Amino acid sequence: MLQAHSILWNYLWVAPDLFLLTVAFLIWKRGLSRELPAFLAFAILAALGDLVVFGADLAPFVSAPNYWRVVWVNLLLGGLLKFLVIGEVFSRVFTQYSSISRISRILVSGFGACMVLLAGVIAGFGHGDNPQILISGAHLLEQTVFIIETGLIIFLFLLAAYFHLSWDRLSFGILLGLAISACVHLATWGIIANASPAEHTRTLFAFLNMATYHLCVLIWFYYLLIPQKVVRKSVVPLPENNLTVWNRELERLLQQ
Amino acid sequence: MTLALVLVLAAALALVLIVGITISTRIQLSPSSALARKVEPIDIEAFRNLVSSAENDYLRRRLPAGEFRSVQRERLRAAAAYIRVAAKNAAVLVAIGQTALSASDAATADAARQLVDNALLLRRNSTIALLRIYVALAWPQSALAAAPIVHGYEQLSGRAMLLGRLQNPAAPVRIAVNP
Repeated sequence: MLQAHSILWNYLWVAPDLFLLTVAFLIWKRGLSRELPAFLAFAILAALGDLVVFGADLAPFVSAPNYWRVVWVNLLLGGLLKFLVIGEVFSRVFTQYSSISRISRILVSGFGACMVLLAGVIAGFGHGDNPQILISGAHLLEQTVFIIETGLIIFLFLLAAYFHLSWDRLSFGILLGLAISACVHLATWGIIANASPAEHTRTLFAFLNMATYHLCVLIWFYYLLIPQKVVRKSVVPLPENNLTVWNRELERLLQQ
Repeated sequence: MTLALVLVLAAALALVLIVGITISTRIQLSPSSALARKVEPIDIEAFRNLVSSAENDYLRRRLPAGEFRSVQRERLRAAAAYIRVAAKNAAVLVAIGQTALSASDAATADAARQLVDNALLLRRNSTIALLRIYVALAWPQSALAAAPIVHGYEQLSGRAMLLGRLQNPAAPVRIAVNP
């Protein structure tokens, strides 16, 4: 069962992409496309890209080098889209408050630049797991993308925790899914790209990656489908005189 | 192999960290009334005296250099303690303000937004001020520029009281002890 091109293998490759396309459809159907344009683009293009790679894997007329070229294009596109999604979540959580908007942008940009540098250095130390640069390069690119992605996601979680900012449901769900996927993929691609594991181990890692991605798509599905609990708040009616009194008190404090 | 091991460990740590932050954030979510009780009052005048440059100059003139450094360290430690409480209060007020952001009443929602913005600004300023204080602890002769914190805290106090009054006229949130 845990073999390449088994039924489970094909299911885990194709099903998450179909679910992701459904997520994209739900986003569009619920009028969330303006709120989450980057995630919508990611859901459509990443799913289609993965399906194209799956087709290229099966199609007999696609040569091995051409298959890896398709993988490269899909990786670059997927990586770019994921960074756009992270940027979108960052904007939703941090840039709505003018007091921390600018500093958080500077911090995230600076940290992102450091992560790119770190990932580049780590990739430079990697010796590659395959004599063909097209294959080993793809593996190192996976590792590089996931190092930067994991770093940025952790930074966002830490920054929000430091400022005690609460996440809106969709942003949290999107980032949680990306975080789980990034951590597991970073570990597996780190091993594949640097430790040259045996063929059977690689297949097991591929299963783990695909199953994790499936789980993440289900997480996105859950956060999109299950509505947020509405907490009933009892707001006391506002007596006009209290407002005036406290506004005067506020002005007195500001003028001290 | 070593690199692979490092990356696996980093990934595992990252996952634990993210799960930990997620769980702790969910646990900390308590009702606004319970949160409001976590706010500690701060004596702004006492803090203002501690960070006053005129007071520093006076002490520098009156005390021998060694004694001044020792006194200055104590004053800086006390100021840092005040700022830590201010930062903690700001965090609580961010949480209170965020729960009120979705209020149907526009005035409450607006007051909540201003409160959150001010609390975030104070938290940011507190971090910078604490860094400056730690630097000043290492070099007591350096000037301590924590004045914006005092102003920020006064503003925040006003916003918190306004929001507290808007949500519940009987129980205002008071975070500063005024002279």
